[in-house]
Amino acid sequence: MYTHQLYQLTACSDLYCPELISIKELNQTSKPDIEIKKGLATRDGLSEADQIGPYLYANESRLWLKVPDVATFIVEEGKRITYQPVSGIDDQSVRVFLLGSVLGALLMQRGYLVLHGNAFQVGDECVICVGHSGAGKSTLAAAMMQAGYPVISDDVCAINDQGEIIPGFPRIKLWKDTAKKLGIETQGLRKIRPNMEKFDYPLGQQFCQQRLPVKALYVLNSHNEDRFTVQAITKMDKFYAFQQHSYRRPFLVGKMAHEHIRQCGKFSKKIEMATIRRPSEGFQIDALREFIINDVEQRLAPQAASI
Amino acid sequence: MNDDIPNNLFWLASYPKSGNTWFRSFLQALLSDQNKPFNINELSTGSIASSRLWIDNALGFDSADLTHDEVDNVRTSVYQWSSKQAQEYAYHKIHDAYISDTQKKPLFGYSGIAGALYIVRNPLDVCISLANHYNVSIDQAIKIMGEKDYAIGASTHRLADQLRQKMGSWSEHVQGWLSATDIAIKMIRYEDMHGQALQTFMQAAVFLNLPDDSSQVGLAIEACQFEKLQSQEKVTRFKEAPPKTERFFRKGKVGDWQSTLTKQQVQTIIKDHYTVMHKLNYVDDQGKPIV
Repeated sequence: MYTHQLYQLTACSDLYCPELISIKELNQTSKPDIEIKKGLATRDGLSEADQIGPYLYANESRLWLKVPDVATFIVEEGKRITYQPVSGIDDQSVRVFLLGSVLGALLMQRGYLVLHGNAFQVGDECVICVGHSGAGKSTLAAAMMQAGYPVISDDVCAINDQGEIIPGFPRIKLWKDTAKKLGIETQGLRKIRPNMEKFDYPLGQQFCQQRLPVKALYVLNSHNEDRFTVQAITKMDKFYAFQQHSYRRPFLVGKMAHEHIRQCGKFSKKIEMATIRRPSEGFQIDALREFIINDVEQRLAPQAASI
Repeated sequence: MNDDIPNNLFWLASYPKSGNTWFRSFLQALLSDQNKPFNINELSTGSIASSRLWIDNALGFDSADLTHDEVDNVRTSVYQWSSKQAQEYAYHKIHDAYISDTQKKPLFGYSGIAGALYIVRNPLDVCISLANHYNVSIDQAIKIMGEKDYAIGASTHRLADQLRQKMGSWSEHVQGWLSATDIAIKMIRYEDMHGQALQTFMQAAVFLNLPDDSSQVGLAIEACQFEKLQSQEKVTRFKEAPPKTERFFRKGKVGDWQSTLTKQQVQTIIKDHYTVMHKLNYVDDQGKPIV
């Protein structure tokens, strides 16, 4: 068994996950927070679950997910993950989905508000960037890291009830073209799956391991214009943005859905939010990074002045 | 998935720049409050079939972590799932060719799909609009239209907003959809949307189970006359327009090729697509364009 740490939880896993921090074996009296085991992942235990997608069933404490030709997974009570790989599939492919949607489901079951985004440290606080797949979140996180802003989590962002971001694990997934444009050499990096030109980029010292309060949240978007724009999100639109960019919202069934509404309401009141639109054409990551840094600094400025 | 799936999804299929957005404008005008002014930036017809967001929301995992072929293999299940969830008919634009997945099953024709309206336009005019849309020369657009393996979003080195769309050549695209036998197909010509508007839009409305009262259809046609779409775009940028393109609703003219294409360009298109153009009455038996 391997012992790992992720989202400040300990995990005992029969599948070695090089993307995660490995820690010393737990002593016999301490129980891990999560158990990850290979096993039979049938839908039998989910007889009262709702079908929430073509390959998804869920109730308040269990979720069953199938990734065709890769594996099936069961996530239970925020504590146990059972995976059943398809015969002959490689471990990397299983881990991609295990450390993505499956982990996201587990964090939701543990009561976190989980957003589809990245978070990076700015001073004693952090900034979250949310957006749909292809919005440029991971690219931005890598660029922020290069500019000296440590990354707290990539893609799956968990917020606790105190409004703090929980550090995820030290890697970013980068496409080959993105890596090239950021000057990151991919030779020697592990592919996320053998047949894909997408890589695990280890964050090393640029991974922030502290829980941090959220200063601001940006919704990343693109438009067909040749300029960057920032537009404040206010009032109820903040609540809707939280909902819209929550990670895998269909996973939230029954009481979880009600709790999620409460969390969105609570945090949307506290956090400053804005939509940033970048030109959809061209790769203007430096400009986007500068644009965000300037905006964050302006938000931090009144505080600094009042000290 | 089994066969008890209601057939709720209609495809609005076409090769790009063949009048699909114009038709969606008509659909929007027909289905919304006809007293409210029509707005080009409020086309709330269903997602395009290649929408990554649509697929990811249904799958519950990232299509970005699948290969293009793996994505194709799950698309059918997503559309069937969406058809099952739909409370009424849903209309989705699609530019993919009528292809099969790696198991040789058709990607867009099976239970769950009520049918496909296929809009076809004279390729002599398509190439001009396509060149403008892709910001390429007309010769390059002609080349794209003749490419058998042409696909959008097919890079394996980066993520595209939309899923890979295999389109093939213009001829293959038209032939693929029009010879589909798995679902009901209704073809309309762009030229008839202009020349015989009421009759053509009425036929489409009947096929798509839309309101088919002729005065209602007439009002919807009027609300989204091409000139009106153009004048709106002059004031507000159309959000679906590609970057670097000055105008999406450019000319919308039938027969623009006569004053725009060279003789050589006309000949190349006819050589590349004679069989299909002849079948659709765009060229005569001698291969001369029918104006």
